[in-house]
Amino acid sequence: MRLKHLFVAAALAVLPLSAAAQSKLADFPLADRIKAKVDAGEKLTIYVSYHDVSNEFAPFMKAGVERAAGEGNVNAQFVGPVGADADAQISEIETLMGQMDGLAISSVSTDALAPVINRVLEAGIPVVTFNTDNPDSKRLAFAGQDLVQSGREAGKLMADTLGGKGKVMITTIDAAAQWSIDRETGAREALKAVPGIEVINTLNTGTDPQEIYAAIENAMLANPDVTGVLSLECCSTPAAGTWVERNNAQDRVKVVGFDLLDETVRLVGSGHIQATIDQAPEQQGFEAVNLLTRFVTGEPIENVDTGVKVYTEDNIAEIAKN
Amino acid sequence: MADAVRAGARAAPAGRWSPTRLLQAREAGVFFALLSLCLFLAVATDGFLTSTNLLNVGRQVSLLGIMAVGMTFVLISGEVDLSVGSIYAFSGLATGMLIIAGWALGPALAAGLLTGAGIGFLNGLLSTYGRLPSLIATLGMLSMVRGAALLLTNGQPVTVNARNGADADVLAAFSFMGQGYVFGIVPMQLIFFLGIAALGWFVLSFTTFGFRVFAVGGSAKAARVSGISVYAVKIWAFVLMGVLAALAGILSLAFLPSGQAGRTGLGLELDVIAATIVGGASLSGGEGTILGTILGVLIIGVMRNGLVLMGVSPFVQELMIGLVIIIAVGIDKWSTRRTA
Repeated sequence: MRLKHLFVAAALAVLPLSAAAQSKLADFPLADRIKAKVDAGEKLTIYVSYHDVSNEFAPFMKAGVERAAGEGNVNAQFVGPVGADADAQISEIETLMGQMDGLAISSVSTDALAPVINRVLEAGIPVVTFNTDNPDSKRLAFAGQDLVQSGREAGKLMADTLGGKGKVMITTIDAAAQWSIDRETGAREALKAVPGIEVINTLNTGTDPQEIYAAIENAMLANPDVTGVLSLECCSTPAAGTWVERNNAQDRVKVVGFDLLDETVRLVGSGHIQATIDQAPEQQGFEAVNLLTRFVTGEPIENVDTGVKVYTEDNIAEIAKN
Repeated sequence: MADAVRAGARAAPAGRWSPTRLLQAREAGVFFALLSLCLFLAVATDGFLTSTNLLNVGRQVSLLGIMAVGMTFVLISGEVDLSVGSIYAFSGLATGMLIIAGWALGPALAAGLLTGAGIGFLNGLLSTYGRLPSLIATLGMLSMVRGAALLLTNGQPVTVNARNGADADVLAAFSFMGQGYVFGIVPMQLIFFLGIAALGWFVLSFTTFGFRVFAVGGSAKAARVSGISVYAVKIWAFVLMGVLAALAGILSLAFLPSGQAGRTGLGLELDVIAATIVGGASLSGGEGTILGTILGVLIIGVMRNGLVLMGVSPFVQELMIGLVIIIAVGIDKWSTRRTA
């Protein structure tokens, strides 16, 4: 199931994002045809290749891309494979290479996409990464969330919610995906620092909503002494909250998760999910294009951390229905 | 004519019951596989043999089961349908959108089921009059219908709740279909599954249409000679499959009020086909029973449930499920005596 790579991920994040080096136009061999366009004041065409245009974040990324295109006065095209398909993403970029004046990319797979990113750069076309970094490539800069850090935040939130004592189960829709491994690393690190907390086997739920719910239901029966569920992504978060709601378990099981799906927002409001971390997908789409437009006009660019925002019962009302 | 039709079928439809017959039945192998699995889990885990867990398993397999009943008809007729996961997503999400748009429950359900029937009809047309192998026709439809679902929803999750515009009474009734319990313990989804299975068993075993499905799958030529419209029978099997996939998709959205076209039902076709095959249906047509399919669905469901209860690592789970599919079909193929 390729779609499992919902947002295949990022960076080693050994260093804070802000510590990354700057990239300057002066150091970059910009293709003559792009240079001519910039000099003539023509609109540039920027392609934003997202690793799965059919997932729930794509519409938000696309909205951010369009906002940045309007502000930066460029043509921005939101492209990418349906389902996280590395081959399809590579072919599309190869096909479009002749007509792109800039590329922002979120890679299906770091290994598979790094060579094509480097080839685009060698052709004199600037490339930045967003959402999911590609640290193996020579990309100019990255805009997105530090995944290990966001996992750490989630781990801390879980520990705080439990008052420093309890048994935690981590859930993910794809335990083998890089983004999941990164967030899990951060979460386990933060939870390990709290002596009263025990973390059991990670639950790999699969991607279909029914599958996710059934996996959580089975796991909660198998581990009746679990007091905290930490979901690493969008989709097992509302499922865990729904399980708590339907089993009236809000007094004994606390849930911390990610993102702001409708059901997640509702369950945070009703007290069945204690906290959720947003990854600002619209902002990531915006920064992807914004980095490129700034770069071609000669401004030095560096990595942008789009950050984490925590929502609890206290501030969830800010999320107005759009 | 009924005799001629029966002669065309390689497997006689079940119907008469006696203990010895039961032991020799083609479902015996898969039944014993399920039984040993359950016995093992009852000993190996604390949680398996509890009423809560067994009813959970019953609910967890229901949607797969509803679709597997349809797949049994399609496989027996000598065809295969790969588009069921996409129909499940499309019809479920479409129904959800209609409910959000303020439609009453009846019309929304009817429209959702009709989309399933329509897609099934198209699958049938392409696989018969269109002269495409159903493997290819429905592979194309798998992608087209998934694409249509993404277009319809613009890739956004569909969440059926009052805030998005669903009428409170409609919402209550819709939720009951997916989340309700009869007598406080039996999940509604399981009721739907058992009802559909009973109906499927009746149609397959006791109606002319059932005989004809076996006949066209056993030997299309013999069926044609005996005056059966082979194409019509196959098209109806696809329509039935489409409607049941749509029903499962609708119930899925009724159970968890949110779905997303990129994820909902993704890869489900393989689970459905695996369960049906484990239950003894043949990919080459002419063989299969509803009882066998139910057992196949249960094997897959019990396996998933049991592995989690035993705390087996998720990667080992994937491996084990594949292994059980092969062993279960193997036990059936190697040990069960065939009726000619």
